[in-house]
Amino acid sequence: MSDALYVYGVIESEDLDVEIDGVNGADRAYTVGYQSLSAVVSDIDTVEPERSDENVKRHDEVLQTILEHDGGRTIVPMSFGMGFKNQRTLKNVLRNARPVFSRTLREIDGMVELGLKVLTKEDADVDPEEIGAEADDRFDRISVNVVENELFSDRLVINRSYLVERADREAFNEAVGEFEDAHEELLVQYTGPWAPYNFVDIEITAQR
Amino acid sequence: MFIVDDILFQPFISILDAIHTLAVTEMYDIEAIQNELKENQLLYELGERDEAEYAQRKAELEAELETAELAHEQLDDKNIQIRQ
Repeated sequence: MSDALYVYGVIESEDLDVEIDGVNGADRAYTVGYQSLSAVVSDIDTVEPERSDENVKRHDEVLQTILEHDGGRTIVPMSFGMGFKNQRTLKNVLRNARPVFSRTLREIDGMVELGLKVLTKEDADVDPEEIGAEADDRFDRISVNVVENELFSDRLVINRSYLVERADREAFNEAVGEFEDAHEELLVQYTGPWAPYNFVDIEITAQR
Repeated sequence: MFIVDDILFQPFISILDAIHTLAVTEMYDIEAIQNELKENQLLYELGERDEAEYAQRKAELEAELETAELAHEQLDDKNIQIRQ
């Protein structure tokens, strides 16, 4: 039997054990601790799981569940595909990267990521710059940071990720609702809360 | 603007090879197909495309992507680079 572990993300030290559909058919996610940190993991049979749509979805869902579980907590998300040979190799990485994880946990403490995509309805005539500026006015003051993502369609006028304090989520929800109501010519997709993928940049290249 | 002059001076690469490479690069634009896949997903999630339209378009695009990736792999095997 494999001792391999799949890591979703890292939280401040806490014992968790949650029944949930995980990557590669795993049925629970639990924590492996090292000093002040805990990695959220599932048992897995390979260190290189396939990047299928299903697996990527499960990776996101586990992170989202841990983010909101039992009152919620801050989580530093890993990018998809972080398999480790066993607990020892994982704890080695946690030990070596502890300063980086601890600093990142402090930087994003109490914050979540929210996604906002805005498209023009078919044949609608809009000024993307004007819409962008309006979004700046409405959302910048209630967010800590923002990232512009790729505009992968001609109809996309906004594709942004916002970093928002948990306490400001309700205000952000209302601001998005008002923006949507003011624009019949637009389609709005508002998603989250997500673990703050777009505001964390930790790459693990060590022996896994 | 693409530059084919230095390709033509390379030994064993014919003008036909160069033209073929350009055609494949233009016809099988992997990034454009991936973007259309994302757009299709988004329009479905926002309710502008129903499930049948979404599934049909997805299948078409996935087939196009497979063909495009195969065409690019074949080009890589020939090792012909076109500067644009």
